[in-house]
Amino acid sequence: MARAIRRVVVLGANGAMGAGSGAVFAAAGIPTTFLARTRDKAAAGRTRAEQLVKSTAIGALISVGSYEEDLAREVAAADLVFEAVSEDIAIKRDFFAWVDSVRKPDSIIATVSSGLSIAAMCADCSESFRRHFLGWHFFNPPTVIVGCELIPHAGTDPAVLAFSRELMAGPLGREVVETADTPAFAGNRVGFKVLNEVAQLAEIHGVAYMDALIGPHTGRAMPPLATVDFVGWDVHQAIVDNLHAHTADEAHAAFHLPAYMQRLIAAGHLGNKTPDRGGFFRTEGKGKTATRLVLDPARGEYIPLAPVALPPFVDAMKTMLRVGRYREAMDVMCAAEGTAADLMRQVVLGYVSYGLNRVGEVVAKARDVDRIMGFGFNWAPPSVLVDAIGPRRVVGLLERARLPVPRVIIDVAERSLPLFALPDVDRGRFFFA
Amino acid sequence: MTQPIYILGGHQTDFARNWTKEGKHISAMMREAVQGALEATGVEPREIEVGHVGNFAAELYAMQGHLGAFLVDIDPAFQGLPTGRHEAACASGSIALLAASAELEAGRYGCALVVGVEQMKTVSPATGGDFLGTAAWYEVEAKGVEFPFPKLFGRLGDEYERRYGLKDEHLAHISAVNYGNAKRNPRAQTRTWYMSEAHACGEDAYNSKIGGRIKISDCSQVTDGAVAVILATAPFAAAWAARRGIALADVPRLTGWGHRTAALRFDDKVAASASSPYVLPHTRTAITDAYRRAGIADCWALDGIETHDCFTTSEYMAIDHFGLTAPGESWRAIEERVIDFDGKLPINPSGGLIGAGHPVGATGVRQLLDCALQVSGRAGRYQVARKHKRFAMLNIGGSGTTSCVFVVEA
Repeated sequence: MARAIRRVVVLGANGAMGAGSGAVFAAAGIPTTFLARTRDKAAAGRTRAEQLVKSTAIGALISVGSYEEDLAREVAAADLVFEAVSEDIAIKRDFFAWVDSVRKPDSIIATVSSGLSIAAMCADCSESFRRHFLGWHFFNPPTVIVGCELIPHAGTDPAVLAFSRELMAGPLGREVVETADTPAFAGNRVGFKVLNEVAQLAEIHGVAYMDALIGPHTGRAMPPLATVDFVGWDVHQAIVDNLHAHTADEAHAAFHLPAYMQRLIAAGHLGNKTPDRGGFFRTEGKGKTATRLVLDPARGEYIPLAPVALPPFVDAMKTMLRVGRYREAMDVMCAAEGTAADLMRQVVLGYVSYGLNRVGEVVAKARDVDRIMGFGFNWAPPSVLVDAIGPRRVVGLLERARLPVPRVIIDVAERSLPLFALPDVDRGRFFFA
Repeated sequence: MTQPIYILGGHQTDFARNWTKEGKHISAMMREAVQGALEATGVEPREIEVGHVGNFAAELYAMQGHLGAFLVDIDPAFQGLPTGRHEAACASGSIALLAASAELEAGRYGCALVVGVEQMKTVSPATGGDFLGTAAWYEVEAKGVEFPFPKLFGRLGDEYERRYGLKDEHLAHISAVNYGNAKRNPRAQTRTWYMSEAHACGEDAYNSKIGGRIKISDCSQVTDGAVAVILATAPFAAAWAARRGIALADVPRLTGWGHRTAALRFDDKVAASASSPYVLPHTRTAITDAYRRAGIADCWALDGIETHDCFTTSEYMAIDHFGLTAPGESWRAIEERVIDFDGKLPINPSGGLIGAGHPVGATGVRQLLDCALQVSGRAGRYQVARKHKRFAMLNIGGSGTTSCVFVVEA
């Protein structure tokens, strides 16, 4: 019998990912039940969903309830149970045991976890549960960011995986990338390697300097340390600690959380979500009198943010990018001399190398890394950078920097072909002046 | 037409992009569109003999005129290329197409590049709305008026209501169809946005009225975009097709055009149409001119239409003006789902201006490229059935003032 999703239950519907993902289901016209600890919290999630899609019309498709009063009945009637509770494996397992005891035998259970082991999460569940369980990792906010990861574990029914892929790519409008059940999957593994590396370098070169140097002109909408403040330092820590503990690849050292971040997290500095304490940056005052402060990692103190003096090659890059001369801008980056240029190449080429080296381990093809970095992070996909620099030149630069040269780059360099393989995607959208 | 003009191909930038947030100059948009068109067609830069740019108001939005000169920068082979820029408000792109195709028909050149471009997200919505007011008679109709164009196209709906009756639920269906189609188009501005008939029919904090009967869901949205197409004469196209290993008969071509201009002031247009069954008779004439030149009897010789739905009311007008229904009965085609993606005569499979986006000067060129993709079966997920291998487009400037129509077939 053909599978259909006629009703979805979202667990943790009051959180950002629960409400946002629930909005995606309801916007696709699927009746959706928002569950949270209390009915009021679930209702707040529904209001958030309406704000995200800018319509009260979807509210008609969303019903609300509490775990205590409604979970058993709602889960029993659902074709899809979407779990978005706290990113804590013990809490998730408790919910899964409960769901397992009341679900319909053929319902799909998906977790929005951003990097916990899919297999470990369902290890204690029934055989039927495990066959119908997999990861659907959406990025925040799911109503805007369409990139997402689909993660089966070894026991996931291939039919459930195929159905999920079609539903997400079709009615839910997702850009789906299938990844292995490895720590932090593909996007966060590659992305947080870069973010944490820049956080490490900030201890030596300064926060403002590193964020300006590895700014939008290196192929990202938001500078890296501002991104960590946006994501939250606690989330950053959870992801890099998990990667440091459970991976042993060429970038292992890059996943070591800097000691200064550890100290500040303990003191309650979690980035934008703790505005009074701040993260890498902090704003004091409001309106016209507001001052922007920046962290001095060595002293754990905040000092006024002053303009950063960068070498002239950075301005030359921005000038080229502004008029759409992307190859020329990359040429400037590759040819520049000095410490700043070395640092920029270390981070940018390190990203290209590390990202494309996950092909064959975490994802099947270069285009998978490209899509999750492009559509999930809004960063220039590694292949876009390779093509803009030139595959042969990338190979030479990686060898000189003693970074691993991914097989996929060697292949296109040998055959003088472009690497980026998504014809409907504007390469230029990832270059910011 | 004295001879068909071939459309070798082209490129559209992603209309969801905000080039101001990317820190880009308007010339970057032109560069990406042109490089994309050269890549898509395999035409060598040295083969381009003339360049035409359609743009409405770069002087206002981007403090930049003389856009034709930016083409010369795009490739070393373009040094000395003759270029110019054309303006007729939202029909600017079509005026550039008309100029380029006329030069090709006249035998001056064999291969022409046409670029439509507009960068609009440089200013606030209110300021942008004021700039758009210059597409009407600014002093008389727009000065000091907040968002003048929704009000003018609201009055187009009112005129239908007065003459024939008009239900807002029919306008809501037009909106829902365009948003729905846009979800199939990887370059549409609204492809990830939420829209439904329930939302378009309703009125809430997110869908308020902004000009007469016009709600937010009735409007196309401001965006940035550029589109380039390469046009050629038969001899050039034949050599190009042979080089590419394709039959000349499979290359899309312009077979008909219509171009009419009415008085700028909306009241004058309505007064002039009092004795006509059509609310905008000069638009109807532009359409029948194009049908006649293309040698077709009516809209039923088409597989689909890309029309100028700057507002739902302008698509409502297009439905009877193209002849899908008798004048004043556009609602019938809506109720019978004729205009839906899988309908008898789909309108705006791309999503149109409401769904795909409306970077003003780029729109006419975008419509032509979409027509060319449709008749050659290369529209991907928004491809509609090819029975006649023929599409038509209507591009309008101002409050129904300048009407440009093209018929494209393969």
